[in-house]
Amino acid sequence: MRRHRSRLTDAAVLAALLAGAVVTLAPFVLSVATAAKTTRQFAATPVLSPPAPPTAENVVALFGRDYDFVTPIAVTAQVVLVVLAGQLLFSVLAAYAFARLEFPGRDALFWLYLATLMVPQVVTIIPLYLMMTDAGLRNTFWALVLPYLFGSPYAIFLLREHFRAIPQDLLDAARLDGAGTVRILRHVVVPASRPILVTLAVITVVTHWNNFLWPLVITSGRTWQVMTTATAGLQTQYNGNWPIVMAATTVSVVPLIVLFLVFQRRIVRSITITGFR
Amino acid sequence: MSPRRRAETRTAYLLLAPSLFGVVVFLLVPVLVVLGLGMFRWDLIGPRTFVGAENLLAVAADGRFARSLLVTAFFVVIVIPVQTVLGLATALLLDRGLPGTTVFRVVFVLPWICAPLVLGVVWRWILSPTDGALNALLGVRVEWLADPALALPSVAAVTAWTQIGYVALFFLAGLQAIPATVVEAARLDGASAWQLLWRIRLPLLRPTLFFVLVTGVISSFQVFDSVYALTPNGGPQGVTDVVAGRIYYEAFENRAVGQAAVMAVVLFVILVAVTVAQQRWFARRTTYELDT
Repeated sequence: MRRHRSRLTDAAVLAALLAGAVVTLAPFVLSVATAAKTTRQFAATPVLSPPAPPTAENVVALFGRDYDFVTPIAVTAQVVLVVLAGQLLFSVLAAYAFARLEFPGRDALFWLYLATLMVPQVVTIIPLYLMMTDAGLRNTFWALVLPYLFGSPYAIFLLREHFRAIPQDLLDAARLDGAGTVRILRHVVVPASRPILVTLAVITVVTHWNNFLWPLVITSGRTWQVMTTATAGLQTQYNGNWPIVMAATTVSVVPLIVLFLVFQRRIVRSITITGFR
Repeated sequence: MSPRRRAETRTAYLLLAPSLFGVVVFLLVPVLVVLGLGMFRWDLIGPRTFVGAENLLAVAADGRFARSLLVTAFFVVIVIPVQTVLGLATALLLDRGLPGTTVFRVVFVLPWICAPLVLGVVWRWILSPTDGALNALLGVRVEWLADPALALPSVAAVTAWTQIGYVALFFLAGLQAIPATVVEAARLDGASAWQLLWRIRLPLLRPTLFFVLVTGVISSFQVFDSVYALTPNGGPQGVTDVVAGRIYYEAFENRAVGQAAVMAVVLFVILVAVTVAQQRWFARRTTYELDT
């Protein structure tokens, strides 16, 4: 009796999970299906019908001269790579200092870093716009990356926790062998913290691939458009031409979804450890 | 200071220099600048003129700003319960450990990995009245985003949709941290599934709940991307004019930068107050901890 009832519950639970999965995935499937229709197909056939036959026309057009989505992809990739390199490097340096060195002002400085976590992005965009304009950097590549380049207090906070857990013996042994700070970082600290560094790298890529408000504010025209601003612009300009717009949204999310699927185990685990965003 | 200590201090500040530069120039100085800018009139291009409290008074009298605060409050009041309850429900289902749980977990987090702006654009099509997928599915012709009564709930629903899987992950981690012995003991004492949830699991999930609520409220208060994509310019009759959007439009469309700066400061103060209030509310109530 008990077994029978629990099997029934299991079936209900599975059904509920499946329903949730359908609701979650449907928008993705629908946008890909629409991206695979010609404008004429989209207008002539029911919205929910599958593309018959599917066409790559929209995606091809997207990379053509009219829409030029190559530029936003290239700009976004460059921004993400530069920010990633800067954030990892400078966060590691700072976290090591906070975790392993003793110096006057350490605790006060660390609290200062933590306090900045409370500052919302929308509060800083106006002053940052002013500063970038005064520095003559508005609508440049540097305006896109500079605010994020020098490490993030959040990453420093996370790394500090991990660096504190490295056994002192390891560091002492390296120091006895005559290793300086740079060599200790490269050969002891970084190899011992590889999982959290990979996690941080993925978080940084996701966050900056998806960043919208700052690029929207600080760039104008097509030269420095990123994926998000280009997608928003396309939607405004071709309002109603949903196949081409859905091609753009598909192209925007596919790289991240691939990254997510490759690193899914680590991401799913790390979300709860780091609570990122 | 011994030479050794001095060397260590020098190394530390060398290591800290880049990030300290970043924190000061791109986080601390902007906070000071935004405070100062509230006292100037600026149109993004021309000179900045000192006007004292003029912007503050203008914002205080600005009905649209008051409305945007109200809209944001409504938005938070819809999104938070929806995503918390559905997130918890999803976690409870996943916690049963049926085959395929790993796959479901990945699927549910998917929307959260994608750009809110891009998902907003996808949903704008799905919710569009004549050629959208939802109306085709339901066989109706509802103006989800253009009807002033429906626009805010629609926007809130889309936002909750992107967050549920993320919230569920935290609850799932919390549930899995509860020792099986505790649940087993309650079961042996004859606790029903309902009692198990309310008397055992939820009290033990309090720290998770705290985290999910605090981060959820803070990020919902700042919502911008998805609202911008779904209902630009504040939506029908301004019903989706959330405060982050109000600040953006005031500064970069109306070019009233001084007033936008004042609004940004007000939002900042509200967020700090909300965080402190939540911290206190949770600190006052009993917490249960397990020795592990």
